[in-house]
Parts: sequence; structure tokens; C-alpha cells
Amino acid sequence: MNRIRRLLISSLALTAIGLASPALAQSKGTIYYMVPTLLDEFQTESVSAIEKFLKDVGYDAITLNADNKTDLQQSQMNDTILLKPAAIVLAAVDFNALQPSIEKARAAGIPVIEFDRQITATPSDFTSVAGTIEIGQVAAGEIQRLLKEKNGEVKGKILQVLGDPADPYSLDIQKGFEDKMKEFAGVTIISLPALQWAPENAGTIVSDQMVANPDIDLIFLHAAHLSVAAVAALEAKGKKPGDVMMISSNGAPVGLDLIRKGWLNVEVEQPLYAQAAAVAMFADKVVNKQEIKAGTYKVLGLDSVVTIEAWGPNIKIPGAAITKDNVDEPRFWGNLKAPADKIVPVE
Amino acid sequence: MISPFQRALIEFALDNLVWFMLVFVLAIFSLTIPNFFQIGIFANIVEQSTFVGVMAIGLAIVIIAGHMDLSVESVAALSAMITGILFCSHGIGQGYTLTPAWLVIPVAALIAIFVGGVIGAMNGWLVVKLQMNAFIVTLASYIWVRGLVVAISGGRSAQDLAPPLRFIGIETMGFIPLIAWIAIICFVVFTFIMGRTPFGRHVTMIGGNAVATFRAGIKVDQLVLLTFVLAGAIAGLAGLLLAIRTSGATANLGTGMLFNAFAAVVIGGVSLKGGVGRLPGVYAGVLLLSSIHTAINLMGLPAHYTQVILGALVLAAVLLDTVKLSIKQMLA
Repeated sequence: MNRIRRLLISSLALTAIGLASPALAQSKGTIYYMVPTLLDEFQTESVSAIEKFLKDVGYDAITLNADNKTDLQQSQMNDTILLKPAAIVLAAVDFNALQPSIEKARAAGIPVIEFDRQITATPSDFTSVAGTIEIGQVAAGEIQRLLKEKNGEVKGKILQVLGDPADPYSLDIQKGFEDKMKEFAGVTIISLPALQWAPENAGTIVSDQMVANPDIDLIFLHAAHLSVAAVAALEAKGKKPGDVMMISSNGAPVGLDLIRKGWLNVEVEQPLYAQAAAVAMFADKVVNKQEIKAGTYKVLGLDSVVTIEAWGPNIKIPGAAITKDNVDEPRFWGNLKAPADKIVPVE
Repeated sequence: MISPFQRALIEFALDNLVWFMLVFVLAIFSLTIPNFFQIGIFANIVEQSTFVGVMAIGLAIVIIAGHMDLSVESVAALSAMITGILFCSHGIGQGYTLTPAWLVIPVAALIAIFVGGVIGAMNGWLVVKLQMNAFIVTLASYIWVRGLVVAISGGRSAQDLAPPLRFIGIETMGFIPLIAWIAIICFVVFTFIMGRTPFGRHVTMIGGNAVATFRAGIKVDQLVLLTFVLAGAIAGLAGLLLAIRTSGATANLGTGMLFNAFAAVVIGGVSLKGGVGRLPGVYAGVLLLSSIHTAINLMGLPAHYTQVILGALVLAAVLLDTVKLSIKQMLA
């Protein structure tokens, strides 16, 4: 009889512990991450990073993929608003089209954090970006350096392979790049878009242009995955690493591999991990509607600047130029070594 | 009154209208676009026709049989991704090697064709055995197969295809890349099959009138199922060629290719109602589209124009087809 009683008490004690555990590890709430697509490595890794970092600071994260469809992302926003999450992290498919959805969410008391894609037309609660225009500007600086090294001055012919012509992300990079290159009269830029960001379209552009303009000095591609097809097209034309200089952007693993093989000279990184970490660091402040102060913050060791803009607090994290000299550094997300240390919320 | 010779001449011109259009367009581009008229550009056009061309063969066969296959693009992407995962050495590639190394070519081809064939068989089974609408069945496959590509790749890419496979993408024979020769051989073989064998004739008959063909004692269900298997298998081969060309695979590889393949099939004179169409016309349609893409690349026109021109061309092709049929009826 005593044995049965002991068993009963033990069972009750275990049940009590079991019931208490979730309370101990209670989540601060659910944050939805609206990812624009899962068809490129940056976005795929952003899901892992945001989910991990938000968990570090006590939130559950749920990701919804919009498959690059604006209308689908609008529907997802509408559905999510009804679920009353702690916040929404939005990487917008279309910068302008999502504006009413952001306003609707905020009117419903749900804070909205813009990730990677800056929306300036309407206020958000927080924005974490590398700056797409700045990526173009960093690329321009590197291209000026490479052309000077090769031709003695900043002159030559550049083939710029954009992403999809309907994607403002690519158009912003183009703007930043071309604005910085304007002052160099000796530079000719041929710009062509790879429809739907499809690598085979980039390969076709490179293939045609290398025949029509064999004097191309440098190819600038707006995403690393496009450079793989570009390299395949160059190989098919009998080119070897270094024959044509190449730069691409976003810092995906494929780009880093191509640097190691000597095909790519520079990869302009979007600091994915730091951008995602910043979202987690400021999540409490955003969710609790506390003031975010302007200033410089260390985000994964990177000096990042928060400014209070017309569209709300905005953190800009510097993108880095990856070359053969620093390609193996773990801070680059293309090496797929997400920081193991827990993210600490900003006080 | 026209003579038999004139009638034969007119019929020849009507049957090969798309080839004349191709020659006309190439001549105009050569005269007006700087750097267009050179062997390298023509080789590029033939090379770029490879993937859509091969895919369009299977699509054309299903359409000639009176059905539809919207899944070919996703099937090609899946084959490319599986090839990439198995035989690429970077990214998500597992870098499997075989001894001797060249064995990777037939093995990769068999896997790609098998993967495509299995999905084609599933489509065909649902259409034939369960009498489901081919449009809906293959639309569903178009969606779930692309989803499978993302799922198995985790959105990541595979790079650095095995050197023997890359050899096919790099080397040329008589100025034309080896990869393009594969497409040309496919067109020759399937043109023969569709034009000179009972299978081809029966498929065309089914597309024209399935009931009459069934009453003539031909196994309609079996043949329709086979056309779906063929479309899938050929799309699998197109996927392999795509992986070879891009030296790997990304989750968005081949996006939008279905519409180019459809455009090529229609421009090439295949009737969407079934029962009418010849594969050489389809190849001419693919070459025509590639020529326009290349011309737009060289002119530096915004890419949106490609789609505008493509749409206009498809419309023109359907109009021409209607005119062609009227003239043929007048001649009869």
C-alpha cells in the first residue's frame, strides 16, 4: 500500500514539474517572419538565422514564404494580423505594395520590423538593413579599384547582370552602382537583367555579350548564384579564372567558393547574420513599444548605426567586400557558420 | 486555277512557314544589329535553344496526342537538382564519383530520364486511369515538383558538376557546342519516331480523333500514358542539360521555361487542339525565340520587351496558323 502511495506521489510530483516547465520556459510571444522567397540561399539562411536569434531572446518564430508573389505576401500579412502576434518581421516582396499591409498591422497594434528591404514610404517600428543602394556603392568602389589596377586608370567596359527587372532590390543596387560610376567617362556599362533571377538567363547574357563585346573587362552580377552560370558560360568560351574580372553581391556560399577558385575577384556581402541579430537584439524594445535610441551599437562585432528616420528607427549594418584575403572569416554568412553565442537584447 | 506545281510550292511554303520566318528574322537582325552577324552568335543561339528545345519535344508530343503537360519545367528542375546533389562537388553536392570517370555521363542521364519518366508516368496514370483532366493533373505536378526541388535542396544550390559532364557543356564540334548537338539529335530521332513509325502516326491520330482511333483497334490509353512518360523523361533530360550548362543547380533553375516551351510549340505549328504538328517546326520555333532573346541582349533593350515580343509572336503564330488552314482549305 505504501509502495502504491509512493508511486502516486511521485507521479503527481512529476506531473507538477511537467506542468511547471513550460511556465518556466514561457515564450515572450510569437513573431512571424515574412520571407519573400526560399529560392535563393540568402533568404533560406535568413530563415535559420532569424528563427535561431529570436529564440535566443525568448520568442517563438514562424516563417511564411511568399514565393516572390506580392499578392500572396499581402494575404499572409492579413491572415497574420488576425492572429495577433507579438510582432511581424517583413522582408517585402514589393517595397510599395506592402505599405497598406504595414499600416494595417500597426493600426491593429502589431509592431512591424522591416528586414533587409527598407520601406521608407510609411513608418515601421524598426528597420534592419545593409542598404541595397550601399551594396551598389561598395561594388562601385571595388570595381574602380580593379579597373585602375588593370588599366592604370578607371576606364573599361563593364557588363552588369541585374536580377529580375521587376525586383526593386536589384534596381537599387544598380542605382547605387551607376551613381558612383557616373563620373568616369572612360567606363562603358552594359546592363542587362536576368529574368526571374534565373541563372541560365545570366549565363545566356554572358555568353552573348562575350561574343559581341569580347573586350569586356569586368562582369558585375547582382547575386552570387548568377555568377555560377556566368562562370560556366565563360568556361564554355575557353576563359580561365582571371581572364575576365568578376564581382557579385550578397555573399552566398557559391560566391565564396568562386573567390577561392579565382573566378570572382570580390563578393560584396550583405551582412545577413548581423542584420538578423539586430532584429533579435531590438525585438523586446519593439514588442514593448519602448524607445529605440539613435547611436552606434555593436551587432556581432560590427559597428552599426541606428538613426531615427521619417520611417522609424533604422539600423544600417555595413556590408563588407570579400576577397581572397578574408574569404574564410566565419563572420561572413556564406561560410554558413552562424554565431553560436546567444544574442543579448539591447537594454 | 493553279497548277499542281504551284500548289505543291504553296503547300511547302505553308508547311515550313516558321523556317522562313526564322531566316527572315535572322537576316533582319544581321543587317541591323551590330555584332550580330558572326558564327559565335549563331552558335550561341543554337546552344541556348537546347533546353527549351528538348523540353518542347515532349510537350509537343503530349499536345499532338490531344493533351497538355504543364509539369515539364518543374520536372526538368527536379532532374537538374538531383543531378546536382549527386554529382556536384560544392554547395549541397555530394560529389559522387564513378570509375571510370566517364561513367557519370550515362548514369546521370539514366537517373535524370528515370526521375522525369516516373513523374510523367504518375501524370499519365492519373489522366488515363482516373480520367482526370490533364491540365489540372500536370498543373498540380508543376507545383508539387517545384516544391520538392526546394524541399530536397533546402533552397541551397549545388555547384561544380563532375568534369566529364562539364566536358559536354564546354566542348564544341563544328562550332556548335556538344550540348546543342544533343538537342539536334533528339529532334532528329523524335522527328523520325513521330513521322515514320506507327507510334508517331497513332499518337497523331489520337490527337485528331481519339474515339475513331480507339474504334480502329489502337490502344489509345496505353499510347497516351506513354506520351506522358516520354514528356517527363525528355523533360528530365532537359534538366540534366540545364545542370550541365550552369555547372550545377539552384532551386529556381528553369523558372519560366514552360512558357517559352509552349510558345515554341505553338509558333512551330503544333495545334493546341491536338492531331497536328511536326517537330522540325517546333525546333524552328525554339531557334526563333532564342534569336529574339539574343537580339534583345545585344541591343541592350530592357528585358520586358522580350516578353512583349514573345507574346506578340505567339499571337501572330496562331493567326498565321488560322490563315494557313484557310489557304489549305481553299487549295483542297
